[in-house]
Amino acid sequence: MEANERVNEEVQEQEVWSWGAGTEGQLGTGYPQDHHFPQLLPSLSSATTEPISFLSCGGAHTIALTPSGRVLTWGRGTSGQLGHGDMVNSLNPKPVDALQSFILDAFSLVEMAHLASLGMVITVLGVLLSRHVEQIACGMRHSLALLKGNLEDHVYGFGSGKRGQLGTSRDRIQSISLPQITLGLEDNKIASISANGDHSSALSADGHLYIWGRGFGSTTDVYCPHRASASLTFTQAALGWNHALLLTGDGTVFMLGGNHHGGLSNPQKTILVKHTAEQSNEALIGRIPSLDGIKVLQVAAGAEHSALVTGKVNFSFSIVFLSLADFSVVDYLYFVENGVIMTWGWGEHGQLGLGNSDDQTSPQVVSLGQRPSQECTRSNVYCGSGFTFVTRTI
Amino acid sequence: MSYDDVEIEDMEWNNELQAFTYPCPCGDLFQITKDELKLGEEIARCPSCSLYITVIYNMEDFSGESDHKSKKSIEPSKQQPVAVA
Repeated sequence: MEANERVNEEVQEQEVWSWGAGTEGQLGTGYPQDHHFPQLLPSLSSATTEPISFLSCGGAHTIALTPSGRVLTWGRGTSGQLGHGDMVNSLNPKPVDALQSFILDAFSLVEMAHLASLGMVITVLGVLLSRHVEQIACGMRHSLALLKGNLEDHVYGFGSGKRGQLGTSRDRIQSISLPQITLGLEDNKIASISANGDHSSALSADGHLYIWGRGFGSTTDVYCPHRASASLTFTQAALGWNHALLLTGDGTVFMLGGNHHGGLSNPQKTILVKHTAEQSNEALIGRIPSLDGIKVLQVAAGAEHSALVTGKVNFSFSIVFLSLADFSVVDYLYFVENGVIMTWGWGEHGQLGLGNSDDQTSPQVVSLGQRPSQECTRSNVYCGSGFTFVTRTI
Repeated sequence: MSYDDVEIEDMEWNNELQAFTYPCPCGDLFQITKDELKLGEEIARCPSCSLYITVIYNMEDFSGESDHKSKKSIEPSKQQPVAVA
């Protein structure tokens, strides 16, 4: 009996790591400084404290959710974005007392959202309270909300719309302060929405990627959701400020845009594959050559860097995948994941966690302590603008 | 290389910094002061990293404006006429 309990405790143990830009306290280390190597956060990594079920990182602050619905925030607070009732930074995770007693269900559905502002969350929930808000996503200056209906789903946009990131008008608009329906997605079941920088995206339940907002690469802005690829379907999308990472059901990573990714000072070396060359104004979706043969479980994008979690899937599992719906596959992949964290892109603030400030044009393995990654049952990676978090269950 | 070209109306005036600002991908803010704009400066820098943006604006919009918000005395060098190409 005792032995069983101990096993259970060990299974529950979670490690939380962070690295990168940290001068506003966004790394949660307790010190306002950058870290080029991954830092284990003792205050969040303990069998006795509640694990983190979801994290979201903004420009310089972080918000965390626990399974019981506790919300913790830390980092830059000068605009009130920590929700602590003041306008100051917090170097350590602090509970958001105002959220202790309500909207917990809504927060638990925030999975895959990229929160830039806690204030925005409260705005969304206030305005759209009468409908079921499934997900929210925040870019640099705009927000998206996904509302699930019985018959159809609606994506709402509000905030800055100058680059088309709201998708609510076929004409150029400055901004709107009340949510409006994004055009052109009405006939789709939407699985997830993402936003970052001036970009927006939605993944339909059947895996089609729709993007709108600022054009990737040298393409022009897109004012209404536009299907990005006719031939590929995806299970995850992560947006940066100038690139997007896309994950297919079989664990292959594609990058959209990213002409300078991993080389803000050097030309990017990614080989672009002409998957979407049907139209001239279409940004190219390229496979990351050095990831050939590596199954990827999860992707995350900061403003100018990228991160992923690898998994191992043998051939028979791949066969199983072909006959299953996408979401079943993702769960299955998590079960057999290998859990290696890889990063690439802009590295000036140590956001790649490789111990230096170099840029990287291809994914590099991040070392998280001495523990073999195979011992971890599940790892998740999250990116803020210039920093990175990893949670992993041992 | 300039990280981005940003129109001045897309930047925000920050009273504390006494500068127009725009988010930097590192999490800090690109900054440019009214004095710099008056002088025809078009580069807004981030104090935390090597990146900078090019600010698109009309110099005439700033040349006549008195900088009443700033208590700092304008340095003599900044009063010199600026050559415009």
